[in-house]
Amino acid sequence: MAFDLIVNGTRHTIDADPRTPLLWVIRDQAGLTGTKFSCGIGQCGACTVHVGGRAVRSCSVPASTAVGSPVLTIEGLSPDGSHPIQIAWKEFDTPQCGYCQPGMIMSTLALLTTRPNPTDADIDAQITNICRCSTYHRIRQAIHLSARLMRK
Amino acid sequence: MASSVDRREFLATIAAAQGAFVLGFWLPARAHAQSAAAGPWYEEASAREINAWIVIAPDDTVTIRIAQTELGQGVWTSNAMMVCEELQCDWSRVRPQYASANRDAREMAPAWTLPVPGNGATDPRGGGVPTFGNRDRTGVSGIPDSLYRRMRTNAASSVKDGRYYLQLAGAEARERLLLTAAALWNVRVAELTAKNSVITHPPSGRSTTYGRIAPRAAETPHPNPEGIAIKPPDQWTLMGTEQKNLDVPSKVTGSAVYGIDVRRPGMKWAAVRTCPVYGGDVRRYDFEAIRRMPGVRSAVQFPVPDPALTRGRIFSGGVAVIADSWYQAKTAIDKMPIEWDIPPAHAAFTTANMRASLIAALDQPGTVRANQGNVGGAFADAAKIVEATYSTPFLPRARMEPGNATVLVTDDRVDIWIGDQSPQETRFSAARITGIPEANVHLHLCHLGGGFGRNGNGPQAEHAIMIANANRGTPIHMLWTREEDFIGTTYRAMGVARLKAALDRDGWPIAIDVRTAMQEGGFGPDASFNEVSRYHVPNYRYSNHTTKFHVPVGTRRGIGQAAHEFYRESFMDELARAAGKDPYLYRRELIARTTLPYKADMIKALDLAAEMSGWGTPLPPGTARAIALEERGAETNGMATISAMVHTVSVSREGKVRLERVDVAHETGFGLVNPLSVRKQIEGQITWFYNDAMHQACTIKDGRIAENNFDTFPVSRINEDPPVINIRFFPTAHWLIGMGHDRATSVQSAIGDAIFQITGKRFRDLPFGQHNLTWS
Repeated sequence: MAFDLIVNGTRHTIDADPRTPLLWVIRDQAGLTGTKFSCGIGQCGACTVHVGGRAVRSCSVPASTAVGSPVLTIEGLSPDGSHPIQIAWKEFDTPQCGYCQPGMIMSTLALLTTRPNPTDADIDAQITNICRCSTYHRIRQAIHLSARLMRK
Repeated sequence: MASSVDRREFLATIAAAQGAFVLGFWLPARAHAQSAAAGPWYEEASAREINAWIVIAPDDTVTIRIAQTELGQGVWTSNAMMVCEELQCDWSRVRPQYASANRDAREMAPAWTLPVPGNGATDPRGGGVPTFGNRDRTGVSGIPDSLYRRMRTNAASSVKDGRYYLQLAGAEARERLLLTAAALWNVRVAELTAKNSVITHPPSGRSTTYGRIAPRAAETPHPNPEGIAIKPPDQWTLMGTEQKNLDVPSKVTGSAVYGIDVRRPGMKWAAVRTCPVYGGDVRRYDFEAIRRMPGVRSAVQFPVPDPALTRGRIFSGGVAVIADSWYQAKTAIDKMPIEWDIPPAHAAFTTANMRASLIAALDQPGTVRANQGNVGGAFADAAKIVEATYSTPFLPRARMEPGNATVLVTDDRVDIWIGDQSPQETRFSAARITGIPEANVHLHLCHLGGGFGRNGNGPQAEHAIMIANANRGTPIHMLWTREEDFIGTTYRAMGVARLKAALDRDGWPIAIDVRTAMQEGGFGPDASFNEVSRYHVPNYRYSNHTTKFHVPVGTRRGIGQAAHEFYRESFMDELARAAGKDPYLYRRELIARTTLPYKADMIKALDLAAEMSGWGTPLPPGTARAIALEERGAETNGMATISAMVHTVSVSREGKVRLERVDVAHETGFGLVNPLSVRKQIEGQITWFYNDAMHQACTIKDGRIAENNFDTFPVSRINEDPPVINIRFFPTAHWLIGMGHDRATSVQSAIGDAIFQITGKRFRDLPFGQHNLTWS
């Protein structure tokens, strides 16, 4: 059965069981592979996207929940890495293996939407994604720089 | 056979032969076929290569082929820097690409890359020691002098292995470009300069670019390649500077291509279930029960992968369900009834009985690896005897990207898209499983979502090859669930150690007896770093003891050294406390008393770390500092890696541990190629080993790994990253072993000693998080 999703401003007609996790619809039907699969149980956040402006762990929500709500993925931030968060991430050379970073960046966008000037405690409370390379030290600095760049 | 790969490569060949017109014709077809961004894997160049590492396009874009896999360690950048340093090309136009493991099967290494200079300590030509060794057929590791020699990504070796021949490759190409320009202008090479891809002849004012003369340079042989000299570190201009990683821009846009992102025309997906007890196999499964589920195509049973293809390790047999999408395959296999054949002896293993076996093994004779002086006699003379038994659990790598590979087998060719730390071994596996010669196996290397130990990739490739071999003509993308990834990986072996010391009246050790036990293959037997005591003791004995378990064990950010560092450095803290001495000065004195070749560097590391940390200055209540030395190889007069760290740790009365600050003194060796990548490695390994110290353990229940996802296997989040990390480098004059592992192992013993200082309780079993750390 087909249903429509708006992903990064583009309408996709999805031919899949609407109970399919949003992650797999984004990766397989919309063809956007920047959003990653890692744990499949909503623990690690590698699959973080925004639905209707809120961060969700897309491996653990059915695609049907995004019907009528725009979906934003890492590819929707900017085509060329020019979004302030991406610029800040590059400034600190943040990624190592990089696999978790799209999810980290999407979680950061959600944080900065509600807290444009986050404290370290805000970051600790709201950035709960896993990075196995433990790039956290640079992620924290990049979040603070992102906040400054986005306030400009 | 009419695979799209052949068509693409055929067209690429035509494009190379006929130029831009055809190029424009085939590029869109390729874009359509892949639908995603181009992969990082090897592509036939449209311009003729200068040598096997370097292609220069007319617009001065320089493609540099990297034979190791980028998994976060920065090899795409550091190793490209080595080529660029010598080539003197424009760094901003460098594009790394993976080297071809297929060409490596068909071509021999250029003779000028074969000599191995120096011994790492003297570095006569500015080279290091490539550790290419042990590339034998039965070890499934290719040909000793194949084109790229050693394509493994392991043992923190990519920089030290790559530097010598990559600098040579860059220099060889530069000299040929200069020869070409000199011939063109009829001038002497000595009158030319090369910088940023521009060759200039100052006397005449003429200049040209690499891109313009590259086609002619590709036809110009080097008259004396054996005479090529590479730059020693004091002449480096790019190497040694902090360079941002070239793959980072793609990793912040989501366009970096990992194995999981590969899409091929007509591709089907496979989900697998393997027996959760190692050595077990499928007894029966009922495909009929799921045949009609959406998207389901077929099922394939596969045996325990041939141990000859998995470095002797025994994993499990399993079954795959193939479907149109992975989620359909996974949903179906979850519902498919599967019965296992489980070896009863394997099902009987539990953490408790395995631990008991290891403890019992400590009292068996074992293998005596060092026995200096008269240990027994010294114990009789002791003023004080200190004894401690430590333990470390089974630990997986738990890289973020679950195991996967995409494989297309046809009757005479195998294509594999994979993030792989051992492409030569995988090539061999593909040939063995399919019967198709290695020369017809094409690996398309992708970035890897974390590595942390080569054999930790497990049989991801072998599973996918077996499944695809049963579905010839159809590309199969096999993807493990997170839970399967915990079965498919190897583990750092569970270990125990009993250390016993005799102290004299002043508290200095007069004898140390070290006994360690790990299962066979678990690097207890290979723990050669215990053969010479790091700290001075006149009577020293080291023995290791093994037992047999069924868990496949392997490297995990080192060859088990992290566990041994926990034992050794924890014991030094205990000895210092028993002696009533400062743990920093106690270590310092015991290093000073040794005759180890790099003792001065170890003392420098300790002194600098202590100074940086404000060692000895007051701290708030509930906060303590602990210090430890980290070294590898410092007992031998060759390569080494030396650092010291001071960790400032707080423990709340409720028992909450926080790593507050880390001060790192790290040596440079002859020269750090990309100090930025080194910093990133140190920062990352601090929290990696914090995880080991505080949280992580896998237990065995009924022969199975009990913790198999991030709900039960904990991983630190950003809130546990230390707020302050200070890193300073100090100069040393030997060649470094590498940065990819065994950095920050000190977190483990330091947290243990800080807990002792704050709570008065000494814990010796990792992780500390399992203990009651409260105090009042």
